[in-house]
Amino acid sequence: MKILALYRIKGGVGKTSSAVNLAYNAALGGYRTLVWDLDPQGASTYYFRIKPKIKGGSKDLMAGKRDLDGLIKGTDFANLDLIPADFSFRNLDLLLDDKKHPTQQLKKRLSPLAKDYDFVFLDCPPSISLLSEAVFKAADVLLSPVIPTTLSLRTLAQLNAFINDNEFKNTRLIPFFSMVDRRKTLHKAIMGEVLADYPDMLKTAVPYASEIERMGLERKPLPAYKDKSRAADAYSELWQEILTQMKT
Amino acid sequence: MATHFELPANLTAEALFASLNDKYETHLVSNQFFLKTYYDSFDWRLYKADLTCEFNRSKQSSSFTLINRKTNELVASTILFDVPSFSRQFNPGKVRQTLEPILEMRALLPICTLEGETSLINIVNKDGKIVLNLLIDEFELLNNRLTLLPVKGYNKVAEQIVEMVTKELGLSAVDRPVLLDALKLQGRKPKSYSSKLTFQLTPEMPTDVACKSIFTHLLSAIKINEQGTIADIDSEFLHDFRVAVRRTRALLSQASHVLPEEALTRYKDFFSWLGQITGETRDLDVYLLNFEQYKKKLPAVIRQSINPLQHFLLAKQKKSQKQLAKKLNSSKYMTTLAEWQKYLQAIPHENPPETETQSTIKHFADQRIWKTYKQIIKKGGGIDKHSPPEALHNLRKTCKKLRYLMEFFAGLYPERRIATLIKYLKNLQEVLGSYQDYAVQQQQLQQFSEEMQRINTPNKTFLAMGVLIQDFEVRKGKARDQFSSEFSIFNKSETHSSFHTLFGAGK
Repeated sequence: MKILALYRIKGGVGKTSSAVNLAYNAALGGYRTLVWDLDPQGASTYYFRIKPKIKGGSKDLMAGKRDLDGLIKGTDFANLDLIPADFSFRNLDLLLDDKKHPTQQLKKRLSPLAKDYDFVFLDCPPSISLLSEAVFKAADVLLSPVIPTTLSLRTLAQLNAFINDNEFKNTRLIPFFSMVDRRKTLHKAIMGEVLADYPDMLKTAVPYASEIERMGLERKPLPAYKDKSRAADAYSELWQEILTQMKT
Repeated sequence: MATHFELPANLTAEALFASLNDKYETHLVSNQFFLKTYYDSFDWRLYKADLTCEFNRSKQSSSFTLINRKTNELVASTILFDVPSFSRQFNPGKVRQTLEPILEMRALLPICTLEGETSLINIVNKDGKIVLNLLIDEFELLNNRLTLLPVKGYNKVAEQIVEMVTKELGLSAVDRPVLLDALKLQGRKPKSYSSKLTFQLTPEMPTDVACKSIFTHLLSAIKINEQGTIADIDSEFLHDFRVAVRRTRALLSQASHVLPEEALTRYKDFFSWLGQITGETRDLDVYLLNFEQYKKKLPAVIRQSINPLQHFLLAKQKKSQKQLAKKLNSSKYMTTLAEWQKYLQAIPHENPPETETQSTIKHFADQRIWKTYKQIIKKGGGIDKHSPPEALHNLRKTCKKLRYLMEFFAGLYPERRIATLIKYLKNLQEVLGSYQDYAVQQQQLQQFSEEMQRINTPNKTFLAMGVLIQDFEVRKGKARDQFSSEFSIFNKSETHSSFHTLFGAGK
């Protein structure tokens, strides 16, 4: 079982739509896939038409009273399950802080699922906190969407430094461009520059597209309502690229 | 929670759907005709391994699926348009991985086909989320079925629907696969063929009656495997055919007092002829079945050089099989076998040729087994490292004879005790068998290489064949070295007293 976390300090960068669409592509390829919506806003839960509520809330979960397995909901798509978000996830940091080894907790909760799933996608809230550290500890791959702006690049450099300095040696940071508008000269210029500096940066970029925004209305992964579109192709190619990267 | 249900005969699929629609928000996702063909090997290997194998065709898809028939769980599935005959011909993947160790050399054969209409229905909640999937299968000649495919985390709806369909609509839970019902329609049952001996003998049975019942059982095995052998579906048909022929010959050789001499000579000749005409094809089959193993024995650098031998063997097997098929379609074969059947069905002689026909089968079995066992001890004891290969070959034949006798009459003795003795005998047979097989294969390879010289074979191939011949020589030597220790295990005083206890009455 490989754990992939969609993570970004800043919100609104296409993190949730990437988690949902990449997971959909993984499931389509026959991999047993799970999405864990850790964001109390519950956007990925909403996209799958599932109630943003878990029995006992985050308290029971962190107290070890409930197994993750009992919280899993099947989505409308084969091979694809979800652990819904819960509003109490906003307190996850506090609950983690009470634990002996707070950063180990996510990994520990996920380990019993290893035989049931090939890939787990963690949809993380935008922040840098104890929860983020627990995510870094659990994840094999940190997928980070980057909008090609100067500020975004600074944050990416910071994240990279944080990962390297804090002994998350087993976690691999794989950034990719998101919400790219090719008509903007700035986007093009920055992308060219970054690809030279970050060899791990994925070649496939997710475009800024209105069909992605429609996910909120359709409440489905993008390929489930518009599989022949530039954005859907981008997610599919992105997933193939991630699979290849993970093998190297 | 049960997930498979049968609709009562008076409830149509439409009526069931309408009832569900009254209480739940349902979406009909698809409705299509299907053709479902079940596959298995001739000897029901998949069924015995608790699997059902379905080839499903509809307008939109064509898939090959393996299902655990006990738990109804999907084991493996793949998109497929034609079902290959052998597991090794499937693309690499879970289906092939599951099939290969079970089927081995046996071909997949269509068992039966069902036609019908299948509807996939979703039940959704107020958010438009699917909370349960349902399949309704309508069959032409069987009761319709409902299958629940629960969605993880939404069991409550599934439980409510189970309650509704069983209590209000009269559906009943079923755990038997549709395959069983489909076979029943044709008057068939699974596991109807096994190469094992399954007749029942009682100790007081008159010898001739018992022998005839064994002969009849073996004759039916010959006939069951005859068409598959002629059509060359897979190599096991010929294998089982030959085993039945050899067993018949073994019993004929013991039955001199049971059958009149004239009949005995005639049928002994006939079955010996059957052994002869089937021998070459079987030898070639064995070569081809083991070919990958032989290849692995070669050093990697010359491994591919052996391929022309495989092509040569395939062509030779094809030719030999064709000739064999011709002989099995000949009037000599058909008439003699029909006469043998008639002979076995005839009422026993009023004036039997010898008094032994009136003795009991238990007495006969004791006597024959004891005598053959003594022969083995005598022959085996006389073999040392200077004995010629023929001595081992001869002993091997006697061991085989004893094995058949013990298997024919196993039902007359305590099950576990005779099984233990058969196991000891089997170990001895294995060493003798390996020795003989390596010797024969070595000899045959030499003969093949002579034949291949006439058909423009690359020199590298002869080199690789030479390495194989050398390898057989080493293995033959090892088997020969093993013989004395294996024989001394068989010749232990405990084994001897076990044989004496079971069969000593036949002294």
